Amino acid sequence: MTPHAKSAEDSFRAGAPVQYRRIYLWHWAVRAMHWVSVLCILTLIVTGTYIAHPYFTTSGEASAHYLMGDVRFVHFTAAGLLVATAMLRVYWLFIGNRFERWSALLPYGKEDWKNMWLVIKRYLFIQPWRAPHYLGHNPLEQATDSFMYLVAIVQILTGFYMFGLATPGGFFFTTFGWVGALFGGAQSVRFWHHLLMWPWMVFIPVHVYMTVRADVVHQESRISSMVGGGRYARADVEFIDD
Amino acid sequence: MFFPSSYPWTENETLGEHLERRGVSRRAFLKYCGELAVVLGVSQALTPQIAEALQKVRRPSVIWLQLQECTGCVESTLRTSDPTIGDLLLDLISLDFNDTLMAAAGDAAEGAMQTAMKENAGKYILIVTGSVPLAADGMYLTMGGRRGRDVLEEAAANAGAVLAVGACAHFGSVQSAKPNPTGAVGVADIVKDKPVVTIAGCPPIADTITATVVHYLTFNRLPETDGEGRPLFAYGKRIHDQCSRRAHFDAGQYVEAFDDEGARNGWCLYEMGCKGPETFSPCPIFQWNSHTSWPIGSGHPCLGCTERNFWDTMTPFYNRLPAVAGFGVERNADHIGLALAGAAVAGVAAHAIATGIHRSKEGHTPHEPAVDLPVVETPAEKSKEERHD
Repeated sequence: MTPHAKSAEDSFRAGAPVQYRRIYLWHWAVRAMHWVSVLCILTLIVTGTYIAHPYFTTSGEASAHYLMGDVRFVHFTAAGLLVATAMLRVYWLFIGNRFERWSALLPYGKEDWKNMWLVIKRYLFIQPWRAPHYLGHNPLEQATDSFMYLVAIVQILTGFYMFGLATPGGFFFTTFGWVGALFGGAQSVRFWHHLLMWPWMVFIPVHVYMTVRADVVHQESRISSMVGGGRYARADVEFIDD
Repeated sequence: MFFPSSYPWTENETLGEHLERRGVSRRAFLKYCGELAVVLGVSQALTPQIAEALQKVRRPSVIWLQLQECTGCVESTLRTSDPTIGDLLLDLISLDFNDTLMAAAGDAAEGAMQTAMKENAGKYILIVTGSVPLAADGMYLTMGGRRGRDVLEEAAANAGAVLAVGACAHFGSVQSAKPNPTGAVGVADIVKDKPVVTIAGCPPIADTITATVVHYLTFNRLPETDGEGRPLFAYGKRIHDQCSRRAHFDAGQYVEAFDDEGARNGWCLYEMGCKGPETFSPCPIFQWNSHTSWPIGSGHPCLGCTERNFWDTMTPFYNRLPAVAGFGVERNADHIGLALAGAAVAGVAAHAIATGIHRSKEGHTPHEPAVDLPVVETPAEKSKEERHD
């Protein structure tokens, strides 16, 4: 525990003037990946929902329309772009700074788990002053974000498998054929690909809320860190990952 | 087709000689060979080779075992409708054993099978329809006092080729659906020492069976198959990619009820739960009942019967996606997902309100920031913090 975190909260409350320093967190690659992913994931959700359930139809001759064809094209293109940014992110896991590296993906060790519990309690308004402060991601964010990476990976694999079904013997068909065997058939693959859209629908509002909340409550410019790459950190607060 | 012919194909007589004696013109025979080449997906240039090979064929012995099944595959085969000479070919194989079609019964039937197996050891074609129950030591199926499994193992031991015909022989079909009370498995789960060609479907199209037999007789080897043992010439493509309604899928035109305008216009059955996008089968091309029609052609969504475990994975047949286990029959993934997403938004809103209350209790108001404007301390820190730690 940070020994003077409580006093920092006190000075925070008392409205005393505080000094800030600027910390550089996210390189261009990570920021680009974030915003391209936002675009791709929203596109994938909208087009994927139409592909799963075409809620409006066209009339007249089939030859005059290509609605589902176009929607699928946008879906596949967005998926390709997402995979490209994912590859960049994987590369950055090895060359990034300590906030971006693979070692920051998951909480590990007794200290991390204890701090994660304190962070959870903070969000439940239980002894919020005991929760430690982080410059980068706290253990709860690490676990949540990496879970969403896992969701994305499963969706990418299942997506490529289904994409390959149209061209038997082709690259995607042969490379991702094992996915079908793993899930027990194409229909099960389709089901999981579809089902895993819902974690995003839960994650997105919570993620946006948490980030806005961090800006409002802790006044740490978290939102702008994903735009400009850096954030402000209170000089009088001790950060675990400093 | 199994009535005694007045011109029986005698032992040691080749098919060519026999057809000639029976008055089939060479022209009709070559035409049939050409059509078979199309079905098999081989070059028309191979037609003479097919004709030559078939002409030299001596009456092949076929043993057709019917295990745990409904006889639907035999019914389907009876309706083989390829050129009339196709019937002739089936007529001309020596179907030495088939429970449904043979006149003999009891000891005589069992004896016929034993004789055929002995006389044609290593050469006969074994066709199996039906699954093999393994639960209760295999006692859910006995034939002539013997377990189905033993009968199959004995027949497969000396077979030249093994054809697993139908969904039952493929993976166990409906009787192997959860919870599979009889422990039913497919032929390939029992016969492991030789390749088993699977003619998948519930039932399969008769012409696929005929074509596979002809392939074996012509080239003296079984056709190329996919991972499920299904011949690629028939099961190499999805129904979705060969479908006559595909244009409506791409255009965004879907049947939404079986009696709506879209159904009358022959639109895509995707929304009615069609499993064409998951199903590899030649149905749209070969079609059924003398090439009259096929399920999607007649307005019914595909059930996916050529795919493994389709009773479990493709159901509900009239929904696009499976139901989620443990949430009741009417709860699909989207009901649950929507509830979770709604709960997340509601939770976020509640948490935001709670945060506001908490902060006002602590003496904060959003309009009175508790801090000064930020003082940037070290503009040069970027180079320090950057890159490699």
